[in-house]
Amino acid sequence: MAQQYGGVKKKPVGKMMVYGVLSAALYTALLTNQATVTALFTRGAWYALLPIATAFAFSFVHGGFTGYFWSVLGVEATKKSVRTRPEEKRTFDRERPQPQPRLRARV
Amino acid sequence: MHNLPIEAANFIDLNYMNVLYLFIVGFIGGLVSGFIGSGGAFVLTPGMMSLGVPALVAVASNMCHKFPKALVGAIKRAKYGQVDVKLGVIFGIFAEAGVFYGAHIQEKIKTAFGDAGSNLYVSVAFVVVLAVVGGLVLRDALKTYRSGNTDAEEKVPALARWVQSVNIPGTMVYFKSLNAKVSVLFIVPLGFATGMLAATIAVGGFLGVPSMIYVLGAPSLMGSATELVVAFVMGLGGSFKYALHGLVDIRLAGIILAGSLFGIQLGAIGTTYVKPFMIKLVMGVIMVIVLFSRALMVPVYLSQLGLIQTLTETTVKILKNTSFAIMAFALLTGAFIVLRAMWQGHKAVRAVAEEEVLENA
Repeated sequence: MAQQYGGVKKKPVGKMMVYGVLSAALYTALLTNQATVTALFTRGAWYALLPIATAFAFSFVHGGFTGYFWSVLGVEATKKSVRTRPEEKRTFDRERPQPQPRLRARV
Repeated sequence: MHNLPIEAANFIDLNYMNVLYLFIVGFIGGLVSGFIGSGGAFVLTPGMMSLGVPALVAVASNMCHKFPKALVGAIKRAKYGQVDVKLGVIFGIFAEAGVFYGAHIQEKIKTAFGDAGSNLYVSVAFVVVLAVVGGLVLRDALKTYRSGNTDAEEKVPALARWVQSVNIPGTMVYFKSLNAKVSVLFIVPLGFATGMLAATIAVGGFLGVPSMIYVLGAPSLMGSATELVVAFVMGLGGSFKYALHGLVDIRLAGIILAGSLFGIQLGAIGTTYVKPFMIKLVMGVIMVIVLFSRALMVPVYLSQLGLIQTLTETTVKILKNTSFAIMAFALLTGAFIVLRAMWQGHKAVRAVAEEEVLENA
């Protein structure tokens, strides 16, 4: 959108294309080999790592593509609304005062 | 995608309509998740089941799309300084324990009372949690909106102030989102309950985010962003558990992910354009609408258990369809509020930028 987060002005068209092609390749491989993939990925035991690894691969490749996609369209975060807690120390950050033994002398 | 015969675990054949449907629902679910840190799963699981996917495969595949989605969302929002990784990981570890315990409880209920008993338990959990927590969140958001003080810094609630003031030696950890030390002993039950809710209704964030905001004292933006870390930790463990039994349909997870990664990036960007109370508003609205959806199903399960008069097949069908429609409406309403708020925020930012340009000129 209008104001970009981090001040990057050049649109990452090349990166979007690379990640887009990789993402399309991954999905094509998955959907054209459904029977093989399903048979292999559902064997359980150590084969359980296969769907997990595939999900990570999709998140990296397709996640990269979608991120660059919105950037290329100009949909970017704005700096203005990023808010966190104020830095000043609040009174309730202090540790609780420990009870101090008092000596009371009676005269 | 040519309807190849799928042999494993009764996995469904995919056609173009199914793929498109899952992509769109994934996108809307992702948009809401990127904004409030959770949501979407409550429509995705029944949505998959409506295509004929067996319940366990739907839950497993949903979970397997959830953790990579949450990872992408968490990384995106971490760039905006909204994520407290330490709080998310600690919270997530206890939530994972809650997921396993919640799943165990579910199995016990199913064994004792059958499918209807299990469904009734899920619906009652939905109604009770969403009524209490959703009502609280929505009330707070509306109070802020009506006060006209929507730009003000969020105040730390009284309960959170007390939690932050309690010093239990050996358990205190500093969290940047709270800018204070909090005893891990407070996070244990909150994380555990979040995990239990995730195992029961598939959306732990309905408890996780409000507890971070109201009990621990995190700002709305950081609470919702940190929930994505919690969802990643919970989703990764849960997916592995289901994958060990061969229940994950990676095709379904992948297709939903294709849409939801577009959505989550957009939702995450949206958080930088809106006022913090909008997070609470979207969450509260979705929770309250979903509450009605699940409440409609309670008589169906009561009837199946023989606790009330048996309902006719037509009535059951009407109630089921209405319930699903209300659920989809909840998600669409949330997505609409997010997009509208983003658009308004974008317009406001652009107006300020134009003013600055004019002043400089």
